[in-house]
Amino acid sequence: MEDRKRPITIALTKGRLAGKTLELFEKCGISSAGAMDKDTRKLIFENEERGIRFFLAKGPDVPTYVYYGAADIGVVGRDTILEENLKLYEVLDLGYGRCRMCVCGPESARELLNSGETVRVATKYPNIAKEYFRQRRQQTVEIIKLSGSIELAPIVGLSDVIMDIVETGSTLRENGLTVLEEVCPISARVVVNQVSMKMENKRISELVQKLRNALKV
Amino acid sequence: MPSIRTIHTPDGFRDLYGKVRKEKIQLMGRLEDVFASYGYEDIETPTVEYFDVFASDIGTTPSNELYKFFDRDGNTLVLRPDFTPSIARAAAMHLPEEAFPVRLSYSGSTFVNAAEYQGRLKESTQMGVELIGDGSADADAEILSMTADALKASGLSEFQVSVGQVEYFKGIMEAAEVSPDRIEEIRQEISRKSGFVLGELLAEERIDPAIARVLERLPGLFGDAAVLEEAWALAPCARARAAVEHLKKIHALLSERGLERFIGYDFGLLTKYNYYTGIIFSAFTYGTGEPVARGGRYDRLLGHFGREEPAVGFGIYIDQLRNALARQAQKQPGHPLKG
Repeated sequence: MEDRKRPITIALTKGRLAGKTLELFEKCGISSAGAMDKDTRKLIFENEERGIRFFLAKGPDVPTYVYYGAADIGVVGRDTILEENLKLYEVLDLGYGRCRMCVCGPESARELLNSGETVRVATKYPNIAKEYFRQRRQQTVEIIKLSGSIELAPIVGLSDVIMDIVETGSTLRENGLTVLEEVCPISARVVVNQVSMKMENKRISELVQKLRNALKV
Repeated sequence: MPSIRTIHTPDGFRDLYGKVRKEKIQLMGRLEDVFASYGYEDIETPTVEYFDVFASDIGTTPSNELYKFFDRDGNTLVLRPDFTPSIARAAAMHLPEEAFPVRLSYSGSTFVNAAEYQGRLKESTQMGVELIGDGSADADAEILSMTADALKASGLSEFQVSVGQVEYFKGIMEAAEVSPDRIEEIRQEISRKSGFVLGELLAEERIDPAIARVLERLPGLFGDAAVLEEAWALAPCARARAAVEHLKKIHALLSERGLERFIGYDFGLLTKYNYYTGIIFSAFTYGTGEPVARGGRYDRLLGHFGREEPAVGFGIYIDQLRNALARQAQKQPGHPLKG
């Protein structure tokens, strides 16, 4: 357990979240030589001196890497954590990547939504949608899983409403849609594998504390 | 060409042969020896049981993950998802009063119809023991030291058995007078080690600030024996203090056997299965992201089968353990152990 050579592996969500997170690590004095370089084709970046390595993965895969212990730590949006619903320790709210999980649609769909009739929902988040409509609203829904441009679904008549994350709402407005209901707030979270938390407790706790302090600056 | 259905095994099921099979048998033999050296006697229970044996108030596996089918009379049957309820049923059914305390060991397949594409086996091998009819701290210590001895015998040199005590949390909840559905929400946040959501939840529920401070500390309240002192100092009521006392007693017993370096304590280790009544533990090692063994005390389980006896036990996930051993053996000096 004292073997300092065993690196702590951190999975980051590709894209904006990764950039912000690497900046934060930089603030903690942990640079990730090369990871910020947009043109690189390397998949994994090691900071040997600190015993830390980073890799970038698609959002929904980050909880999977952490759950199986292929990464000790992951940085991922709460939307993905809720959707994947794996047993992970969620230890820190990074506060950025802030948005809201919402049910959206044309204003005319509001009545249907409250009528108790079966509603068609298009979403990237079928598990969250199922949980929300069944448990919280006790409503029967038909869920259609899509992988992007969810706003399109009600416009072309694929679904009545959508469930998606909303940041500013401008895409919605431009397409004549509006937020009908808010489900929950979302932001970037640090998750930890349950075994790593025990076997590497000291190093991981220190790292999380450093991040927490860096957030306050 | 034979069709796919005749030559392939279904997803989550597999053939084991040659070297791998031999290694598995050897590993299981080493564990059997440990169980026998503690005086445990093997018991065989059927692979198929009535659904009621694993119903939601008793079992640890959600109903939709059980393999279910019907007998000719229309009763629902299941393939056992784990052993403990079966062993409890058998002990309650067959053993006379004077047989207790009884030490039983088991070995065999368990079946969980988990979601696809998780790289999970649906049939996996479990070995374990149950000590029924002894509610003392000595019994808990015996089970914990067996867990450590069995993992040592398997060939692991670095592992940690993380021990919790559900009475500590239950005591705090009682002192805080929280409603039952809120208890479940609070429990979830603590077992996710998610202090920040917990804080919001506690504020919303208007929990006494002194007690809320204790609860907020729970996700981080784990580590070596020093954490027992902190837990004692934090305990807001007699029930929680008794839970810490109990762990201290166990710690003294384990230290006598020289096992303290394998044992840690975690007051945030909680479970949604309400059958655990005292200690609860998981064993971790490098090379696998999930525990290689789990166990705990379940003093009310036998009551479901018509006999009140305290009981404690653990099960080792043989396939997980084998994975961990294989990955640790592959390790080159200075290289990471990640799979």
